[in-house]
Amino acid sequence: MGDALLLDVVLFLPLAGVALLIALPSDREDSIRHASLAVMLVQFLLAGWLYLRFDAASDGLQFETRLPWIAAWGVYYQIGLDGYNVLLVLLTAFLGPLVVAGAFSAIRKDVKLFYGMVLLLQFAMVGTFVAQDLFLFYLFWETMLIPLFFIIGIWGGERRIYATFKFVLYTAFGSIVMLAAVIYLVYSLDATTGVTSFAFTDLYRARLPLATQVVLLTAFALSFAIKVPMVPLHTWLPDAHVEAPTAGSVVLAGVLLKMGTYGFMKLGFPLFPDAARLLAPVFGTLAVVSILYGACLALVQTDIKKIIAYSSISHLGYVMLGLISLDLIGIQGAIVQMVSHGLTAAGLFLMVGMIYERCHTRELAAYGGLAKALPVYSVFFMILTLASIGLPTTSGFTGEFLVLLGAFGASWQAAAQGDTLRLALAVAAVGGVVLGALYMLSFAGRFLFGAVKVPHGTQADLGFRESAILVAIVVAIFWLGLFPAEPLRKTELAAKAYQQLVMTARVPDAAKLAREERR
Amino acid sequence: MNVRDLVVAMLPEHLLLAGIVVVIARDLLPGKPRDGFVPALAFLLLAAASAAFLSLIWYQGSPFPGQLSVTPSDLMAKAVILALAVPVLMLTRDDFADGRFPVLLLASLYGIGLILSADSFLTLFVGLELMSLPVYALVVLAFRGPPSAEAALKYLVLGGVASATLLMGAALIFGAGGSLSTAAFVAALGSPDAMAVAGAMLVLAAFFLKAAIVPFHAWAPDAYEGASVPATAFMAVIVKGGVLLAAVRLFAQAPLGGPVADLVAVLPLASIVWGNLAAMRQSSFRRMIAYSSIAHAGYLFYALLGEGAGRTQAVLFYVLAYGVMNVLAFAALPRRERDADADRIDSLRGLYSRAPFASLMIAVAMLSLAGIPPLPGFVAKFLIFKNVMEAGYTLYAVLGLVGSYLGIYFYLRVIQLMFMSAGEVDDGRGAPRRLMRSASLLSLGAALALMIFPGWFIALF
Repeated sequence: MGDALLLDVVLFLPLAGVALLIALPSDREDSIRHASLAVMLVQFLLAGWLYLRFDAASDGLQFETRLPWIAAWGVYYQIGLDGYNVLLVLLTAFLGPLVVAGAFSAIRKDVKLFYGMVLLLQFAMVGTFVAQDLFLFYLFWETMLIPLFFIIGIWGGERRIYATFKFVLYTAFGSIVMLAAVIYLVYSLDATTGVTSFAFTDLYRARLPLATQVVLLTAFALSFAIKVPMVPLHTWLPDAHVEAPTAGSVVLAGVLLKMGTYGFMKLGFPLFPDAARLLAPVFGTLAVVSILYGACLALVQTDIKKIIAYSSISHLGYVMLGLISLDLIGIQGAIVQMVSHGLTAAGLFLMVGMIYERCHTRELAAYGGLAKALPVYSVFFMILTLASIGLPTTSGFTGEFLVLLGAFGASWQAAAQGDTLRLALAVAAVGGVVLGALYMLSFAGRFLFGAVKVPHGTQADLGFRESAILVAIVVAIFWLGLFPAEPLRKTELAAKAYQQLVMTARVPDAAKLAREERR
Repeated sequence: MNVRDLVVAMLPEHLLLAGIVVVIARDLLPGKPRDGFVPALAFLLLAAASAAFLSLIWYQGSPFPGQLSVTPSDLMAKAVILALAVPVLMLTRDDFADGRFPVLLLASLYGIGLILSADSFLTLFVGLELMSLPVYALVVLAFRGPPSAEAALKYLVLGGVASATLLMGAALIFGAGGSLSTAAFVAALGSPDAMAVAGAMLVLAAFFLKAAIVPFHAWAPDAYEGASVPATAFMAVIVKGGVLLAAVRLFAQAPLGGPVADLVAVLPLASIVWGNLAAMRQSSFRRMIAYSSIAHAGYLFYALLGEGAGRTQAVLFYVLAYGVMNVLAFAALPRRERDADADRIDSLRGLYSRAPFASLMIAVAMLSLAGIPPLPGFVAKFLIFKNVMEAGYTLYAVLGLVGSYLGIYFYLRVIQLMFMSAGEVDDGRGAPRRLMRSASLLSLGAALALMIFPGWFIALF
């Protein structure tokens, strides 16, 4: 009982933090910063405790709370941890304090509003991951837009208003289409089984004709693919990333993009399994196109923030490839890749923010030889670069390797039966790894080595606060790279459940329908 | 006729009437002029409470059989409308020092009480007129030159057309069926007789006119812009809510079909799309709200597409959520020396640095009107579209949702101006409204309640 409440506390803690901030006077900026950091740290500690207590051997929800909310519609406030979300909740809680601490020196305007929005965003993000009721999920999913709209729009760069509107209007369009699909799905569940429920577990039992499944999956996928983002729905991402303040970029890359892939894993594919299997070649192709196209775009950028933004598109492509491979190893790899990208991209964006605070430019050409000028900075940057490429012993290796292993494993058998598309996709995805190494290494090479070029003269190296943030991320990267067995054990049952759900046909039984009609 | 029913069934209306009498009587007493605010507020609260109480004890009665009857759901509708009128009345405190505004407001509410319990077209007509006539006066009451007069005149003429249309429709229905009862309307909807159907269509058109549905909407932007803030709030929230609830009552859970269903789907859809598109181009805040209210009238009429039993619930919840948010926006809107300045959307630039509380309140209202979760506007919209889809109008539901997407931009633009644009220097004369904070806090509290316990309200309605 007490355990169940713990997850509620983790969820609502940021909201309590908002209340705390409201009580503080706006001119006591340092108190506001420290209070926000304290809230986030407590949330991380509690989330870590939940992670340790999470029982890998138990199927189903843990730390579950289920209370009727809108009883007339069968909407429940239902939250819980399972293998799907346990790592992502931990990741979100882990990045929370880093985001807050990373913004200490960068945000000088409307400090109270800023941290209020960051805490609100944290609440919505954790809520999206732990929600086990579709209505609740949608509520949190959309709520995320509000604080991000403010964060990008108020504290962003020069074209912040254009970027924030583009981001919100893009994602809101996906959401509104998804909303129509949600209503239709729940209504057809009601019409066919007589159960009015938004609970994921009930919705997994909905039997829908293939054509309906395809339409609904397309609607859900539109919303999720915009968030991931998958080519060709990615055009909001560079603008949002580049214009957002560091905290916004970190949250976007670290957590928000995973919402899309999590949505596919938890909802899109398992809710409409037959359509998912039918459209698997489409999703697989889009995933590989995202991997390659994102990498190619990253290769030619001159803005350091854009390089990392496009690399995100490429890395998230692996996640999609792993999910759609329906191979157990590939699925596990996708989960690890989500967390790994969350760590590396967040770290890289934080580092870009740190150098931007010092030199006020994001032009790659303006920099050079930072290894001599800022040695500590450069060491961290190199580690993150290598993790992003997927060097063994880092988390990036675990993720990408497992995804590719899974993609090949699944495609061998398919190729033997004459379906060579999946094999071709897997081979092409390997090309993405090479491209990834190419753009990241050439970026790091020009950035860190060569003749020393530091805009605005000599700059101080990293301070204690900045180093502490990066040490935390580097530790997490090596933890996931060196000891992946432990987290993988906790997600294994969920990966199996996902595989099972998507592999099982759920179109209505034609013979049974005919029998019922005759009656 | 039963005396007890006569007293109890119309208790909210009696209390409103008592309020009117008291405010006028105090005005007539010798001595310095008194403002009618406090007694009006007291009687309004009593009326709202009595309606809610009667609904909760499941009272129903018909003091004038065939003309007027109340059911618990009618009483709940009255309670919602009267409760929404409370913050609107609070908004009038600074603009109108004497008793005229409260009296007109209470009189109009009396009319809404009548249309929400009318059983015959006679009562309905009397109620609609009683509701509308004071509003014409409310629009000119803040006379600020020709635009106000023009607005009032437009509203008056269009209101007259609506009344004439309603009477014509009622006459045709009477001619076809020989009955003036509102039940004849439902019968006429499904009747093969062309005259009856024409009558029903005319009645429907009158409601479209009153609610400003495309193509009967052109009066609304002018009237809203020309009127004062409290009068606009009253028109956008109370009148619109009352008309919609009366329309739902008129349809009396009858299933829609044939040409009527198409009419109830296509015109509101056009309102949603056009209202949201036109609102993007406005530079006056009240005009923008007018177009937004045209779009919202579209969502509200969509509710009629749903199954009979869910309509009242959906409309009530929507009216409450939408009303609370509109009132919140109007209450928080800063005042300026010149009304035209305060009404410019551009004057909201940089408001956050001048008035953080007001801009946060307006932001909450805009996000809710845009239907972005978790604010109550979302649950309200969800309820309506869920009913529409369950009734089998999948295509219209999807189109309506996409239409509602069009509205997001202009609501967000208001937020952008307040929070993300450098502001003008404050002229320092924007005296805060005396009751602005209490009116906004009241609305905010209601919004929070709707947000956290939507299930409770839905069970109540």
